[in-house]
Amino acid sequence: MSNSTEQPFVLAVPDDDLALLRKKLDLVRFPDELDDAAWSYGVPLADMKRLVSHWVNGYDWRKSEAEINKLPMFTRDIDVHGFGTLNIHYVHQKSEVKNAIPLLFSHGWPGDFLEARKMLPLLTEKSPDHPSFHVVALSLPGFGFSEAPKKPGFAGRQYAEVFNKLMLSLGYNEYVYQGGDWGYILGLHAVTHYGHKHIKAWHTNVPSVGPPKLLSNPLVWLSSWLSSSNNSSQAKHGNARNWRTKGMGYFMEQATQPQTIGYSLTDSPVGLLAWIYEKLVTWTDGYPWTDDEVLEWISIYWFSRSCPAAAGRIYYELTGQNTHDTKAGTKWMSVPLGVSYFPGEIIPTIKAWSSMIGNIVFESEHDKGGHFAAFEQPEKLAGDLWKMYGKGGPAHGVVFGKNGYD
Amino acid sequence: MTTWAKPFTVAVPDADVERLHAKLELATFPDELDGAGWDYGVPLADIKRLSEYWKNTFDWRKAERSINEIPQFTTDIEVDGFGSLNVHFVHQKSEVENAIPLLFVHGWPGHFLEVRKLLPLLTAGSHDHPAFHVVAPSLPGFGFSEAPGKPGFAGPQFAETFNKLMLSLGYNEYVYQGGDFGHIIGVYVANIYGHKHMKGWLSNMPMYRRPTAFSNPLLFLELLTLPFNKTLRDRIAAVQHLQTTGMGYFNVQATVPQTIGYSLADSPIGLLAWLYEKLYMGVGGYPWTEDEVLEWISIYWFSRAGPGAPARIYYELTGGNSHDLFEGTTWTSVPLGLAWFPQEPVRLPKSWAHMIGKVVFESDHEVGGHFAAFEQPQALVSDLRKMFGKGGPAHGVVPGKDGYQ
Repeated sequence: MSNSTEQPFVLAVPDDDLALLRKKLDLVRFPDELDDAAWSYGVPLADMKRLVSHWVNGYDWRKSEAEINKLPMFTRDIDVHGFGTLNIHYVHQKSEVKNAIPLLFSHGWPGDFLEARKMLPLLTEKSPDHPSFHVVALSLPGFGFSEAPKKPGFAGRQYAEVFNKLMLSLGYNEYVYQGGDWGYILGLHAVTHYGHKHIKAWHTNVPSVGPPKLLSNPLVWLSSWLSSSNNSSQAKHGNARNWRTKGMGYFMEQATQPQTIGYSLTDSPVGLLAWIYEKLVTWTDGYPWTDDEVLEWISIYWFSRSCPAAAGRIYYELTGQNTHDTKAGTKWMSVPLGVSYFPGEIIPTIKAWSSMIGNIVFESEHDKGGHFAAFEQPEKLAGDLWKMYGKGGPAHGVVFGKNGYD
Repeated sequence: MTTWAKPFTVAVPDADVERLHAKLELATFPDELDGAGWDYGVPLADIKRLSEYWKNTFDWRKAERSINEIPQFTTDIEVDGFGSLNVHFVHQKSEVENAIPLLFVHGWPGHFLEVRKLLPLLTAGSHDHPAFHVVAPSLPGFGFSEAPGKPGFAGPQFAETFNKLMLSLGYNEYVYQGGDFGHIIGVYVANIYGHKHMKGWLSNMPMYRRPTAFSNPLLFLELLTLPFNKTLRDRIAAVQHLQTTGMGYFNVQATVPQTIGYSLADSPIGLLAWLYEKLYMGVGGYPWTEDEVLEWISIYWFSRAGPGAPARIYYELTGGNSHDLFEGTTWTSVPLGLAWFPQEPVRLPKSWAHMIGKVVFESDHEVGGHFAAFEQPQALVSDLRKMFGKGGPAHGVVPGKDGYQ
């Protein structure tokens, strides 16, 4: 093991940055709005005015910062083939259970490392009734407080390399993985390259896979063709339909011209707020956002180490500027996979097709929760991981010598 | 109904100019990947250069004075279901009394000043070519026109606004020129007011629906010749490239124009990037000066309804991205001219343009792109003169106003 570059990380946004944010907010200029538009045309003006006013008058970033700093956070250098060294930020919370299962949690867009926060006590606590985990929750390169790649082409293979090297550098030669949104897609890439050897099992709350093709998956194709119209709770909920018909603009723009939209997101806190807040509301299942929660979430992007523009590039890199699927380069692996279905999930999932993703050993369906499952329904998601990895569970003991119990 | 137009001068309040400068002073820029060029969007060096110029050198008041040399007016137009809209327009009459009334309509991210270079050429009288009286409005929600206040202001409403504008000026019959949304609205004007009021038109972005086996069997069959037809293949490849890499802005504006509106209204460099991407990529080498670019962006920044309003045209004309831009329209026999410019990004197979209307005139240019009136004013004027002049296929379409003394 090479010399460790791990440093404890303390979030400390400079006063100047806070002052600049305040100056920009003081100069805000709002657009007009159509009568009775509500959410039909995008984020309502009333919401934006209220949030900006709170940002200026009420929200206390230093208080958020102090709370965030209670998490055990670190940075270390990770070498990525062809991209030099990237300094990666992560939370690393160990359980008191020595044989806790090492778990890597990956967020997506517009997510961040704090999505793991509510699950940390649930996953690390000791209990005779469920397994314990050592949790590593990183900021993806280009997001939060991790450095961004400097050259084109940082795609699935590279993110997987960061994940694996990070876990190995922490002494976790074998580990399990959980992710949604890009965390799901990057999980596919990670399992393709490091499955079995290092990643012993994984779980996703966004088990999305395209329609089965007759020639490659004949049995699945036949069964979905024969089944009646999709009656799943996701189909009834509406979030997924709205995403497909009215919610793809951000994806198209970030997959094709991330630099162009990046100027707005980096220069205007109000523009950034609208771009992300739209997702926080339309992708969740009735989550009762407080203004403080929203502004803390946006602040992670506003104060990110790189700039808000860097994060959107993941869409471009993983789709080759909209010319191929995000899953290109991955393959079906027999690494044990657990999936959870949440009704408010935006990315279409069809139970009959999920076996095309991987070797499904665990499935769970919920009646509440949306895209940001770890944040909205931490008990449900942690509960799924407990069942999957616990005694008698289908992935119990996958990591040799670390079954989650002492 | 006659309403009297009021003269209009552009007069941006000092406070607005100061706020723009205050924001530019605080501008924060993103990083950029090594060697990105234009691959990921507008290059950082371009935005920094233009932003610096905007902050330190560009003289808005000088631009404003020059704009105010163009005769501009506003008038109230009553639009069914939307009440009264105050519409801003350029109106330059020719000294030729029987000049042909011409309505020029811009698109997005265009504006009324795209007519500027055409004005002296179109209004000039001569034995050799026809003259025109030119009317060039700001689209409702753009430039210095009021924006509609309620949802649903779509193709028929834009057409109604402009037809009533021409009628209010005493032009019961007129001809029309447009590209981008100017073309799209032209289809609606031809459909609803064609023959009765709109007597002929020239488009520099001939675009319509794709042919299907049922709607246009011959054109559909032509697609089968694709493997053997390099010209057709190249044109379709060009459009496919646009579809794959250049439609992010369309999708955003057609589904969540309010969301992007916050960025465009609050960040001058955000607005600059959003628009400049199109100014650069749509023209194939037009040598934009900083002054030209920043005057263009400033029209959006200082517009009456703000920079958030124009994006809604994408939403309204596509029903929130649920149908195509030509909802409810069909082929018409109103005489149609097509001006083909080689760098126009929306380069559909030429044969498809015959699905729009009765093509009586076509011209093929060697140079020029999307903003034809701005880039190649001589070429576009030459087309209008040939189409509507003596011996031309649409000569005399407006009775009593053939463009000559």
